[in-house]
Amino acid sequence: MSLLEVKNLHASVAGKEILKGITLTLEPGSVHAIMGPNGTGKSTLSNVIAGREGYEVTKGEVLLDGKDVLAMEADERARAGIFLAFQYPVEIPGVTTSAFLKTALNAKRRAAGQPEIDAMEFLKLVKAKTAVLGMPYDMIKRALNVGFSGGEKKRAEVLQMTMLEPRVAILDETDSGLDIDALKVVSEGVNSLRSPDRAFLVITHYQRLLDYIVPDYVHVLANGRVVASGGKELALQLEAEGYAKYLNTAA
Amino acid sequence: MNALAILDHSFGETYAKRLGVAPWSGALPGPKVEEWRFTPLRALAKVPFVPAPVDAAIGSIPGNVPTIPGAARLVLVNGAYRKDLSDANLGKGVEISQGKVPAKEGSSLVALNAAYAPASLAVHVSGAAKKIIHIISIGAAASTPAALHPRITVTAENGSAITLVESHVGLPGQAYFSNPVTSITVGEGASVRRYVSVDETNEAFHLATTLVKVSGGGHFEAFHLGLGGALTRQEIRIALTGENAEVRLNGAYALSGHSHHDFTTVMDHQVPHCSSSQVFKGVAGGESRGVYQGRIHVARDAQKTDARQLHKALFLSRGPQIDCKPELEIYADDVQCAHGATTGEIDPNHMFYLAARGIDPDTARRLLIEGFLAESMDDISELAVREQFGAALTAWLARYGTAQP
Ligand SMILES: Nc1ncnc2c1ncn2[C@@H]1O[C@H](COP(=O)(O)OP(=O)(O)OP(=O)(O)O)[C@@H](O)[C@H]1O
Ligand SMILES: [Mg+2]
Repeated sequence: MSLLEVKNLHASVAGKEILKGITLTLEPGSVHAIMGPNGTGKSTLSNVIAGREGYEVTKGEVLLDGKDVLAMEADERARAGIFLAFQYPVEIPGVTTSAFLKTALNAKRRAAGQPEIDAMEFLKLVKAKTAVLGMPYDMIKRALNVGFSGGEKKRAEVLQMTMLEPRVAILDETDSGLDIDALKVVSEGVNSLRSPDRAFLVITHYQRLLDYIVPDYVHVLANGRVVASGGKELALQLEAEGYAKYLNTAA
Repeated sequence: MNALAILDHSFGETYAKRLGVAPWSGALPGPKVEEWRFTPLRALAKVPFVPAPVDAAIGSIPGNVPTIPGAARLVLVNGAYRKDLSDANLGKGVEISQGKVPAKEGSSLVALNAAYAPASLAVHVSGAAKKIIHIISIGAAASTPAALHPRITVTAENGSAITLVESHVGLPGQAYFSNPVTSITVGEGASVRRYVSVDETNEAFHLATTLVKVSGGGHFEAFHLGLGGALTRQEIRIALTGENAEVRLNGAYALSGHSHHDFTTVMDHQVPHCSSSQVFKGVAGGESRGVYQGRIHVARDAQKTDARQLHKALFLSRGPQIDCKPELEIYADDVQCAHGATTGEIDPNHMFYLAARGIDPDTARRLLIEGFLAESMDDISELAVREQFGAALTAWLARYGTAQP
């Protein structure tokens, strides 16, 4: 069975149709990249899959292991294994990164019928994961994302992903804001999670990321539709030619 | 305006009659007194309070009193010091005695306290106190609503240091009116930390006055927690009277149902080179009402004053009302003064972020509310108190819920 299926998905915001029939199938173990011009609906697609309020799905479905995702609340979707690394992670004053991580981890463990993680085990896990991502361990004592630099926020998103080990990870421009070295480190973090029973949807504007996280498929999203799909060479072609020809066909 | 017209004498008359003493000539502030505009005392004035018995039998200390490990415990029942319930092993640097209540006139509530307080619990600090002094004031009415007037006087000599915790509670289910007055003198170079928690019964009235004087080079750190009571006002008046005095005054409140909580502060900068900061935060649900009035007064020659004030409130439902009134009276020209105030609801973007990590809505709200209040609590420098007050807030959230109708 496919891991995640998006079938003919239509969604509107404030009465305006943004997604106009998107179909994507993510097999376990696969990495799909989505590229496309600004404002074409990439973040909208991620938000609709993750369950953000304010979007009206007018047609189509999203299935995780064949189960209706759209019928679930956002937190249920996350516990079922959907993870969204935000394009713009929000700052949450007063809530420490560590308290947040622990709460999220325990929510997942409880849902899986596992006991809560004990304090020592948790610290060990965070230490190991932050080290892999080249983050100072002390960062988890700070309020969640508050005052984090652009790149630090993106690393923190990937830290959360590596701790929560989702089934489907959607990375919405996780590469933007990262310096050249950080891009490499973060990509390695993502690659370390690649596994036969997990799938990735990687949204990016830059072919460079796909040198590190090598995708199986590349899709072009324009005007709320997937207008082209191909292998990783499609990204190279886009880099050279731009989106002009897709915008014409989509219009 | 005729002073009589703005005061309500009925309380004093009724109360004195019940006491069987000559009618108390004082009065409660009426609705036209500006400082009491947001906290009307109509409901209080209607209750025929009797004087609370100073020898009331107490089975055990109420369970909502924070546990401060290693602290000396001084218990007041209906304002009277109760040796039998106290653990007055004070350690070095501190002595207590029972003194006369100073008759000095103050506000009408201070005068009311002076008229009826059984005695003043005087805490005298001569050096660096070894132990935390935990004063527990218990309201114990019998079957009739009763009034109590606890009085505490703290004198910290020059160069001394003390940490005080003050808990105001009542016997479950009882209606009473507590009118405590605490006056504190911080000597030159002395350091006083005072942590107050007001967690009265749902039927109780609590109108507290704190009067503080901070001398040159003195430090005063305070945190006030407001959790319970039908109507609570914590009025805190601080005078910085010597150069290089520092004050940090923070507080938090959590309101449910129809409860009413008022923080009124007056920060009086009388001399140059002093600093004060205030952070007050509140969460309000049900049909509750929260008030913050903060006055900062900077005298003409109090140059180089640094005075800051912040109030933030979070609505847990549509019903509550929050009144915030900052007043800056600045007569010096070379000063830094800032005030800020916000009110709002829980940010749906924050909720979604937590949901996207698998955290259910109730847990997410709790995390965000605790995080919101943390900004004022993080400055509590005494760890045991920070933990206990944090736990009290967590328990409050568990009891009343994070989303209130
Ligand atoms: N709440 C909203 N109200 C109105 N329009 C919205 C709202 N949210 C998104 N849109 C619009 O939907 C369109 C798609 O936005 P989306 O964020 O999905 O684009 P994107 O492909 O992720 O772009 P980018 O590459 O710049 O991140 C945009 O035109 C945007 O302005
Ligand atoms: Mg986007």
